[in-house]
Amino acid sequence: MNPTLLVFLYALTTALATGLGALPFLFVKTMSPRAIAYANALAAGLMMGASFGLVSEGTGAGAAQTVTGGLLGVLGILAVRRWLRGRPVEFGGVRGAGARPMVLLIIVMTAHSFSEGVAVGVSFGGGAALALAITIAIAVHNIPEGLAISAVMRSRGQSVLACAGWSICSSLPQPLMAVPAFLLVEAVRPVLPFGLGFAAGAMAFMVLDELLPDAYEQGPKPLVAILVSVAIIGMAVFQHAL
Amino acid sequence: MDPAWRVLIYSSVAAATAAFGALPLASGRTQPLRLFGWANALASGLMLGVAYSLMAVSLDRGLAQTGLGALAGIACITLARAVAGTAGVIRLGAIHAVPEGIAIGVAMAAGLPFGALMTTALAVHNIPEATVAIATMTRRGTSLTLATLLAVAANVNQVVFALAAFLLVSAVPVLLPWTLGFAFGALLYLVMVELLPDSYRDAGRTSIALVTIVAMGIVVLLHDGGR
Repeated sequence: MNPTLLVFLYALTTALATGLGALPFLFVKTMSPRAIAYANALAAGLMMGASFGLVSEGTGAGAAQTVTGGLLGVLGILAVRRWLRGRPVEFGGVRGAGARPMVLLIIVMTAHSFSEGVAVGVSFGGGAALALAITIAIAVHNIPEGLAISAVMRSRGQSVLACAGWSICSSLPQPLMAVPAFLLVEAVRPVLPFGLGFAAGAMAFMVLDELLPDAYEQGPKPLVAILVSVAIIGMAVFQHAL
Repeated sequence: MDPAWRVLIYSSVAAATAAFGALPLASGRTQPLRLFGWANALASGLMLGVAYSLMAVSLDRGLAQTGLGALAGIACITLARAVAGTAGVIRLGAIHAVPEGIAIGVAMAAGLPFGALMTTALAVHNIPEATVAIATMTRRGTSLTLATLLAVAANVNQVVFALAAFLLVSAVPVLLPWTLGFAFGALLYLVMVELLPDSYRDAGRTSIALVTIVAMGIVVLLHDGGR
């Protein structure tokens, strides 16, 4: 098969895997305020752990570039939020303040898979023999990211199907970006640490500015803290193992 | 210099920097609540940066050991907090100082440049942490001088545990990823259960998020930039 098509198909598989993160919510019918706090805490921990992983990968290629990218990511989220503020936001039947975190989260996670797609393409350029192993690793790695998105959306009244759909959509930039990155490895490589840092900064800011304070307001602090910490540790170990 | 002496001196300096925490309060004027929120956020960010660095170093030396060590760290802090109860700024400060000391000791055992950076980050972290503790004590009627001395005294644990952790890991190097993981989990959990919730209580969430991320970014830059 044409190697470019192969990269696209492999990366598309990884995007579809993100949708699997919605499956646990098939078994959750209604969510009490406390359960919503735990969902926010879980999403916060998974995203913080993922941003630790991105930083570690990015700084391997350039620490200053990664941290600069991180600050740009924070500024990017602030800019998007300011832009959203003046506009009537509606998402899945939810208006205003309740809809904003969902819209922001999807934007953040889409930006993040944009960078991840570039990382996939660059790593494919390193050797096609590893392609299948990398694909499986990224696909499995995407499932908890889908879980984070679904935890936030499901706790704000969205259907499991919508959770799965938006999880997959947020990962679509992966196959779309992997192909040009694969074809232009040498040109893309220097930009990669900025991109990884951008994604990490945007995700960490989203956690600290929205998910975490929400979780502390809605649930008992020690349990929220344990859930966040265990999720960070789990995500860090899990992504490092892949 | 004998490495154990170096650990003793470094950790003592880090413990003593807490005294600088009194400076923002020296004017005697009542400081706005926001200031304490930002102080906690600064302490949170520096500690998150240290936790991240410990994690990065530890994961390369043993995946399962890091994960299990980190879970043990959370369990120990949970237990210590349950035993200490809600009473006492000093007692909470003394609990904080234990994993901070372990972090300094194991980081020094992992390598001098790494240990020196972790000690510096925790020494700076001790300043805003002490500001909050000293302010809490003076609000309850303790004099500024006594409160400052107590804040430094609460950090004695840091020196004791830094030395103990360093000697233990130097003698039994297999323990390195376990203890690095332990310090990572314990510091992470302290940020999540105390420092960050306290920050959000005292200042707006966006300012807290910005201060925390910038402080964390500085530690990451110094650590990963030096690899």
